[in-house]
Amino acid sequence: MVQLNRHYDREDNPDESIAIKVVGVGGAGSNILDRVMLDGIDSADLVTINTDVQSLTASVAAHKVQLGRTLTRGLGSGGDPELGLAAAEEAVEEIRSVLQGGAVVFICAGLGGGTGSGAAPFVTRLAKEENALVLVFVTLPFSFEGRRRCTQAEEGFARLRAYADAVVCFENDRMAEITLPRMGIHEAFAAADLTISQSIRSVAHLLQSPGLLHIGFDGVCKVLKGGDARGLFGFGEAEGENRAHDSLVRALKNPLMNRGELLEEAYHVLVHIRGGTNVTLGEVQIIMEELNRHINDRTQLFMGIGIDPRMENRLSVSILSSLGENIAKPGVAEQPNHKEDLIPGPMMKLMAPVGVVAEEQPVGREPVESEEPIAVQPEPPVWPPVRSAPAKSEPKVVPSVPPKKAEAKQETLQFEPVSRGRFEKSEPTIIDGQDLDIPTFLRKNIKVRGE
Amino acid sequence: MARDNIFVGLEIGTSKICTVVAEARGDGTLKVIGVGNVPTRGVRKGEIVDFDTAKRCVHDAIADAEEKSDVEISEVYMGITGSHIRSFNNRGVVMLEEGREEIDGQDLEDVRANAREVSLPIDDCILHTIVQHYYVDGQDGVLNPVGLLGKKLEADFHIVYGIRTRIQNAIRCVKELELEPADVIINSFAAAQAVLEKSHKQLGALVIDIGGGTTDFVIYVDGAVKQSGVLAVGGDHITNDISIGLKIPTARAEKLKIEEGDVTLATAFPGETILLRDETGFAGREVEREALNQIIHARLREALQIVKRQIETEQSLHYIGAGVFITGGCSQIRGLQHLASEIFEMPVTMAHALPMAGVTSAFENPHFSTALGLVKYAYLVQTDHPTSSGFFSRAIRKFSGIFRN
Repeated sequence: MVQLNRHYDREDNPDESIAIKVVGVGGAGSNILDRVMLDGIDSADLVTINTDVQSLTASVAAHKVQLGRTLTRGLGSGGDPELGLAAAEEAVEEIRSVLQGGAVVFICAGLGGGTGSGAAPFVTRLAKEENALVLVFVTLPFSFEGRRRCTQAEEGFARLRAYADAVVCFENDRMAEITLPRMGIHEAFAAADLTISQSIRSVAHLLQSPGLLHIGFDGVCKVLKGGDARGLFGFGEAEGENRAHDSLVRALKNPLMNRGELLEEAYHVLVHIRGGTNVTLGEVQIIMEELNRHINDRTQLFMGIGIDPRMENRLSVSILSSLGENIAKPGVAEQPNHKEDLIPGPMMKLMAPVGVVAEEQPVGREPVESEEPIAVQPEPPVWPPVRSAPAKSEPKVVPSVPPKKAEAKQETLQFEPVSRGRFEKSEPTIIDGQDLDIPTFLRKNIKVRGE
Repeated sequence: MARDNIFVGLEIGTSKICTVVAEARGDGTLKVIGVGNVPTRGVRKGEIVDFDTAKRCVHDAIADAEEKSDVEISEVYMGITGSHIRSFNNRGVVMLEEGREEIDGQDLEDVRANAREVSLPIDDCILHTIVQHYYVDGQDGVLNPVGLLGKKLEADFHIVYGIRTRIQNAIRCVKELELEPADVIINSFAAAQAVLEKSHKQLGALVIDIGGGTTDFVIYVDGAVKQSGVLAVGGDHITNDISIGLKIPTARAEKLKIEEGDVTLATAFPGETILLRDETGFAGREVEREALNQIIHARLREALQIVKRQIETEQSLHYIGAGVFITGGCSQIRGLQHLASEIFEMPVTMAHALPMAGVTSAFENPHFSTALGLVKYAYLVQTDHPTSSGFFSRAIRKFSGIFRN
């Protein structure tokens, strides 16, 4: 019982998902790309663009573009962004041809070197000219790599931001946190690549997979564009009894999240919960309520739920956000105008028909309906529950709805029995209404990674 | 047979009972000749909750000290703490009668008595009445008004009081062991005696003694006690938090706290773990270092912030020139100095008792600050040390009301 949305007027490739291209620029970019490839990504074209022939040959991507055939003659750009840019300009037609047809283009690069900092902004510009939505994932060099590289990286970053729809930035310094100190350096880099690959894959998923509560690209854009485009990203997956809690904790544990502390500063937060057909309302509730503790009252929350039978018993949570300096002027004004040219036709498919999947949801009907009163209110960009009402989603409407402020956080009462441990029988120490015998971290809801 | 020049300090702490025996030497210094130290049972948050058990522990601690110092202890200066202990500042006034203009010792007694005339809850009794400043005819900055001419004598006092019965518990415990409590001193004063030099008191200093069950603090401004207080949160709470947070037995948590505890956040590498070896009744496992640090950090930050809030009510923080001195067993947790200086926004010293002659190992250990301070206090009170600017002598209190029972 697939319902047809009457706004689905796009006749081109009606059965396929939107065309996604993942482009790795430079050495670091192609490493990330390899990682994405290894992890597997559905229906996406992988493109490596590099000056260095050696690394290009080693890449597993299907499409490869060599930059600076005459300029660098197959060597790297020697850490010079000017050279990287010139090399890219030389291959402009080739780059254009591989980018053609992509509705969404992910560009990943390591900033600081020549090709990454020089060519990546150029590639981004070309992708933009192809009218694609461009999301850039970059790594910033370790601070020990020297001032010069950091400056180059910053310059590259600034240029990227000018062209891209959103830039998610992974600071290597912070990435180092996810690896154990005794881990080999190759593993450390691999871990960084893995995180980026996770981000790319989960955004791709978010866009492609049918959602019960769907988040469109507009949602993603808003979340990423709100601030200074420093992306926050967290992904966690878990199974078992406590999977809801575990997956969220894992997502927050991502170094980019700083254990959820940074979320507090974010203006828009996007959460995507993905699971098999047995995701329950209770689990969604747990995740959202816990997440609510980490964000502040004015944060706008976008919630998406995707049911994917392939997930079986696993549940994953992706959190996407960006740190905003300019929170005060919440990119609202510019957002809608942008939107018109940002969202090309294929994007409309984002809210794929979901009727079928939803029907299988064991918790039945009310869960979906009652979603709203829970912790979050799915704001405009989140698709209304499309459970049985056919074609009620009105894609065009969405971007023009001015984003409202998130509802005030719901105060959560502590239902778990408070434990005073060894002070159980002693006279309580009450100061300012707080029973100090109860562990501070419990009272203040500080998430402690224990067991 | 006790000798006159022997001073014994007894601190009945939540985690340990500590007895310090010191001998006053002819040159006006103290020599520590023995330190008795036994772990406590039956004391929670600085107060006795199991009388018989606690009494046995006190007995052991006294016996330990007697054995080490080869002195028979008959009289002890006791440290006391507990959440019931409160304090406030009050001003006393006396007008000299017609025809007399010279202020004498009796006037000092009268002004003290006048300041003590406050309505306390019926169960409470005053522990200390410590003079802060004298004013003669409204004139400030009088150090010793005796002999000065004036019509009106005023004085500010810092008055410490607590619930009589709860103070008596500790006293009774000592009395039942055939010991004579010479005086009862609140722990924070004792700790301050041990760790502060006179110049620190003049400059202004905050002493925080973080013990097993309580956090005692006192502020000195211009050489006088400005404020004091007891917060019934201490190392036990940290242990308890760890035990609950990491789901390990209390004894393990205590050990973990001492061996690995650190309040600095984000220094552990993510995923860095500490291996807890298995032992009887406990299957070994790993705990995350960052989790441990977070728990400790949260607790200590909160405790210090509460102390700061309580101090801020009097704005005493502005008068502290020498900085914050943190002592007590719990001060040994790594990184506390940094955390405290961040909270109080001033230099923090991790203090142990100032050196005296004798058992030097005792001074290096902040555990013994309070007990050492007790003997120092006792010595100063008894000898009415001239350098003590007379404040200690005036701090002598008669405990008749408390002792007779």
